[in-house]
Amino acid sequence: MNQIRDKYAIVGVGESKRSKNSGTTPLHLALDAARAAIADAGIDAKEIDGFMSYCENDSCSPHQLATYLGVRPNYVKEILGGGSSTEMLIADAVGLIETGQAKTVLIYRSMNGRSGVRMGGGGWSSDLLQSAFEGGSHIIPYGAASPSQWFGLFATRHMKQNGLTQEHLGHVCTSFYEHAQRNPNAFFYGKPLTMEDYLKTAQLSSPFTKHDFCLESDEANAIIVTSAERAKDCQSKPAYIMGMAARRAVSHAHYWKNIDEVASDYVAKPLYEAAGVGPQDIDIASIYDCFSWVVLRQLEAYGLAPKGEVGDFVAAGNLKIDGQLPTNLAGGMLSEGYTHGMNNVLEIVRQVRGEYEGTERQAKKHDIAICTGWAGPDMAGAMILRK
Amino acid sequence: MIEETKVEYAKPIPLKTIDNAPYWDAADRHELVLQKCTSCNTYAHPPGPACAHCGSQELVWENQGTDISGTIYTYVVSYRPFLPGFENDVPLVIAVVELDHLPDVKIIGNVLGATAEQLDIGTPVKMVWQDITEDRALPQWTLA
Repeated sequence: MNQIRDKYAIVGVGESKRSKNSGTTPLHLALDAARAAIADAGIDAKEIDGFMSYCENDSCSPHQLATYLGVRPNYVKEILGGGSSTEMLIADAVGLIETGQAKTVLIYRSMNGRSGVRMGGGGWSSDLLQSAFEGGSHIIPYGAASPSQWFGLFATRHMKQNGLTQEHLGHVCTSFYEHAQRNPNAFFYGKPLTMEDYLKTAQLSSPFTKHDFCLESDEANAIIVTSAERAKDCQSKPAYIMGMAARRAVSHAHYWKNIDEVASDYVAKPLYEAAGVGPQDIDIASIYDCFSWVVLRQLEAYGLAPKGEVGDFVAAGNLKIDGQLPTNLAGGMLSEGYTHGMNNVLEIVRQVRGEYEGTERQAKKHDIAICTGWAGPDMAGAMILRK
Repeated sequence: MIEETKVEYAKPIPLKTIDNAPYWDAADRHELVLQKCTSCNTYAHPPGPACAHCGSQELVWENQGTDISGTIYTYVVSYRPFLPGFENDVPLVIAVVELDHLPDVKIIGNVLGATAEQLDIGTPVKMVWQDITEDRALPQWTLA
């Protein structure tokens, strides 16, 4: 692979309003997010010549978005995807810029994730679900249709084998909720969670309570990627991309044969090699958090906490803003909002920049950051950024 | 007008596809068959259009009979139905079961009649077949 370390940067981030019922279309939301990211970068919309998005057939097309920004880009691309798609599209954008096919690329995720198509299910045809997933006929008839059940199967075994408890899941939740109390735009701003309350909450599907599930929200997020050279002309502080590794797959997305193996395990090595740093160099993190346990498993996969000691690591408060690895500092998908991971990307860029300097929201040391995506045990992607 | 007294099965019925039909046909006969790759001797479950291990198309179906036992590899207990039809089945136990005679094969099912307290990794179970319609049956598990 060509050496791309520090040659590309995220130069703009932006979001639409976040709500439970936007009362508008994903196109309107995407336009709001794109305009905010463009303003943040301080560029003209017409400087963007590539538009990319991921969706679950619940969004607007990049072509539409470009059209209503008054831009006629060289390149548009829309993929089906969720967790880790942001990292993968950034990798694609870098490839396009590196080969001279585009100069500046805007990537977005827009969804009425609460009032429209909900990831948590509801209203889907069972026959459709059976065909939509690899091996679907072998799980849907048994009532296993929610990601909480699929990931719960991994969690049960992993937790039992590694001495992880309900309280350890609770530490992930309470840490992220604590961050949300400093973020007025978070869904759970003003709704702190104590360990006592967490442990009193009933499970919806073991080992997860409602607090262990991510939120569902209506919103759009956008980021702008360009070369380090062009980044100099932007008004924002660039977040340089040190390295990426995207989507190492393991077999069978939804039928689990080897529950001890997840794709993130395979992303870590090429990621750190590309970035030229190791887990010990990471100051802050955005860890994909569709469920609390997914955070624990990724801390282990990316070597951010030693295997077998992940529980102690989170119990010691290390995910909090004054801990060893301040993580998901806007509240994450557990308590801020949910755009299939992109809201965590926005926050890590802002932290790396030091945008909250002078407030209690800024992590003290923010030179090098990791941002991970988890589509499931089957697919993952991650990147490392620096200021 | 004839009064309809039969209770309809409200849960999803396994969809037979070009790749999995022999598995479900056997289930309807209360038997377990597994797809096997004769190139690398790996069992493929769930079955597919080619071997997921080596890509070979040399696939056969091997009858495992009717006396199938295993142990729980992992499980969840759901306290809310995530699909229509399961309202009366909660708490619902969903388990991944490792077959005793082929530990590489894991088969997902419900553990019928089991409570959360009775379950752990390694708990022994055996396969039973639940008649869900006149001509369809679903492989399931019960505590051994």
